[in-house]
Amino acid sequence: MKEIKLKVNHKDYHVAIEEDMRLLDLLRNRLNLTGTKEGCGEGECGACTVIMDGITVNSCMVMAFQAENREIFTIEGLEKGGRLDPIQQAFLDEGAVQCGFCTPGMVLSAKALLDKNPKPTREEIREGISGNLCRCTGYNKIVDAIEKASEYRKEE
Amino acid sequence: MALREVYKPKDITEVLQLLDKYKDKGKIIAGGTDLIIDLKERAIDPEVLIDIATLEELKGIAFKGSYIEIGAATTFAEMMDHVITKEKTPALVKAARSIGSPQIRNTATIGGNICNASPAADMLPVLLALDASIILKDLEGEKTILLEQVLKGKGKIDIERNQLLSYVKFKAPVDGEGLSFEKLGFRKALAIAKIALGVFVEVENNKCKEIRIGSGAIHNRAIRESKIEDYFRGKILSDAVIEEGSELFQEEVRERLINRSSGEFKREAIKGIFTTAMKTALSTIKS
Repeated sequence: MKEIKLKVNHKDYHVAIEEDMRLLDLLRNRLNLTGTKEGCGEGECGACTVIMDGITVNSCMVMAFQAENREIFTIEGLEKGGRLDPIQQAFLDEGAVQCGFCTPGMVLSAKALLDKNPKPTREEIREGISGNLCRCTGYNKIVDAIEKASEYRKEE
Repeated sequence: MALREVYKPKDITEVLQLLDKYKDKGKIIAGGTDLIIDLKERAIDPEVLIDIATLEELKGIAFKGSYIEIGAATTFAEMMDHVITKEKTPALVKAARSIGSPQIRNTATIGGNICNASPAADMLPVLLALDASIILKDLEGEKTILLEQVLKGKGKIDIERNQLLSYVKFKAPVDGEGLSFEKLGFRKALAIAKIALGVFVEVENNKCKEIRIGSGAIHNRAIRESKIEDYFRGKILSDAVIEEGSELFQEEVRERLINRSSGEFKREAIKGIFTTAMKTALSTIKS
């Protein structure tokens, strides 16, 4: 066991972790943030995507102890005062959610993209979510939603 | 996993002390994108993990005289975004961009790509074409060794357990020199290279003064294609000469992969990939 400090969704945590724990396990099993999903467990599918110090990472490919003193955002951290983030709203408005398993990762990849490039082309959006697989094959709707999210964010 | 201890050292000295203390039981982790899979599949079973991912001393890209130095813990995303690599070695940026996915490129490092020594490692062909050296540190000091000399086979690299790969260095291409990277994968994102090539070429008085070809995924490790290089040195690089060189390469791959199921496909593909790589390298030469 080891004690680490980290920040998740603006909140400071002081948690005990096992040495062989992944960041994904820490988020889901210790902090009960189950919005982050485990898909393939080997960095191919992006279902476990979270934002760490401003960039997207697969949380199945980060050891929990590596997250010490770092700042993490999960899907639970996006809403503000009970209101959905514009990206989440756009996913709903465009019908970009089918089974929903890939959605948290997709939304966070979209956020990282839009934070860096507020008005991406469709090609740039496809590149931005190229590490997130959707097995309901809803990519067109997802790209539509991220385009719409870019407009919503401009309006805010 | 039987991990007993995990460390996040504050500087290189502490990393070296830990490596010296734990020797075979210790393992360095940076991006973790290969290592964590190995841990999960129990392909490796270290007792101690030493995290270097956020060590500032091992990050960054800088000029040192005529050389470019890249810290071992520099990620592919950082290489894609840095002004030095973008201006001086676009082929290296292209190789970095071809790797994995945004999430992988955000964490996977150049040092990890070297130390894992995959035959299909995307960064190695270009680094071999650049004649890159690696700098190994231990508690006694540091030594510089050619990358080519430490690659020994699939997953095999000649680095001692008490040594830390701290940075990579190579001469920045100058006027009269060109560099390219080409990769054949089966899809755009998350593709393992089926063939990867890095080509460095120096032209003087219209003739090929120097050429270095690094290849990936057509041997048990990334290698320099010295036989093909020898063919080109001293020649005028006309289309006909490139065509003949590509046929020589094809023959080389045919012999090398004779018992491989992928051999037939790769010996066809190498011709086109190499021709593109060669012509791209020539097109990047500034005079």
